[in-house]
Amino acid sequence: MKPYRIRRMRHTATLLAGLLLGGWSATAQSTDAPTPRPWYVPDHAVLQTGGGIGMLTTGAGYSPSRHPHRFDADVLVGYVPARYTGHRAFAIFTAKATYSPFSVQLAERWRLLPLSVGGLVNYTPAAQINRNSADKYGYRGYYWWTTTLRAGAFLGSRVALSLPRATGGKREVSLYYELGTNDLYLVSYLPNRSGLSLGQILTLGVGAKVDL
Amino acid sequence: MADFTFSRLAVRLAFGVLLTTAATGCDLLEFSPNDTRAPASERDLTRKNLTALAQRPVPTGGDTLRFVFTSDSQRYYDDVPPLVASINQQRGLAMVLVGGDISDFGLAREMRWVNDEFKKLNVPYFTVVGNHDLAQNGREAYQRIFGPLNYTFTYAGTRFILVNTNGREYEFNGHVPDVPWLQQQLADTVGVRRQVVMAHVPPEDGDFDAAVTPAYTSTLEQAPRLVLHLTGHNDKFSVRQPVPERVTYISGYSVAQRNYLLLTLWGRHQYKLETISY
Repeated sequence: MKPYRIRRMRHTATLLAGLLLGGWSATAQSTDAPTPRPWYVPDHAVLQTGGGIGMLTTGAGYSPSRHPHRFDADVLVGYVPARYTGHRAFAIFTAKATYSPFSVQLAERWRLLPLSVGGLVNYTPAAQINRNSADKYGYRGYYWWTTTLRAGAFLGSRVALSLPRATGGKREVSLYYELGTNDLYLVSYLPNRSGLSLGQILTLGVGAKVDL
Repeated sequence: MADFTFSRLAVRLAFGVLLTTAATGCDLLEFSPNDTRAPASERDLTRKNLTALAQRPVPTGGDTLRFVFTSDSQRYYDDVPPLVASINQQRGLAMVLVGGDISDFGLAREMRWVNDEFKKLNVPYFTVVGNHDLAQNGREAYQRIFGPLNYTFTYAGTRFILVNTNGREYEFNGHVPDVPWLQQQLADTVGVRRQVVMAHVPPEDGDFDAAVTPAYTSTLEQAPRLVLHLTGHNDKFSVRQPVPERVTYISGYSVAQRNYLLLTLWGRHQYKLETISY
């Protein structure tokens, strides 16, 4: 790996850690009457695997309305190691929105969000993903799709545990799964509903979210 | 004792179910549509099909060899099961050749979807890489799922040479197709009565590297044992023999055209060509 890339990665890691720690310290300072946090401090941190956006994916997000249901808007960075790409590791950048319209109280501190629906777009800036340059098959309308940008949609569920904060108030720790697909799988399935089954185009993502 | 056996069975069953669920989950747990992950049973398919072929006696016996040529299954998944069903009714068949563009987007899952059907064939099948199989991260995916982009094998005295001719995918760099490699394969005639070349893009096509066309076609024309040159790509069935007594160029049907070619070879240059609809 070239030195400047390592430097750049370190810089990104420092920035991310700073952002997360900033979130923690901002909540740590809050008292019984919580002071409003600066707009840019995220509401939660995310860790995910699968779902077409990385083997190890991390990021942060905002939840404008927390209870009784949630709307989450997340920004994530995923990593796919070289052994699963055949050549070089991928970084995948994702913007994702999830809405959970129902909430079921399971126990005093546990609740279930039985349905989550969401969508995402992601970008994989990998040179080995053959780009559809106009000088290739553009003249035939070949390769009409974008190679590095993908859109996806998913359905899932989420279980959340409410934990007291040392400074008062509560924070939720939740686990979720998502069954989804992407635009290319969908356009493969739609005209071939006898040749392909819905199960064949599904992807699974599993993750955790922690309120900051 | 009986209870013990039963509980052990139950544990085994539970363990089996757990393993299956975990395996399915792992398979669903996709890191990227461009990742090249696949279960071991869906990797190195070319090598596995070659092993299967080597173990099969020539079904027609004697000098005759019969095989199917189909191509361009890309995103026509509804048309693949009827194709497989029709091919499985053919008698005396040794193998199926697929002329590339197995996938549309070059994704590993697409190649695996097609294999899900082609593995139901009664005979081994062999693919050559198409331009769509090289889209996205397809070059890596194809090599993982199927195998080499250029390869060769001999069966029933017939040498099959499968060559990557998708020059445009390599920005017409002058090295695709690999003519020196092709010359080497055509020159190696030990135990070979006749030869068949299969490629995806035909040499007269705009997606073939024009700088390589003269060397490629003269190599083919100078190979005395070469009977057939099979290609896919443009969904237009045609048969031509520009030089008498030399190689016959056949452009085959795509899967979506609901036709395939049944080819029977015998002697040095004799062949019979039948179009089968399904």
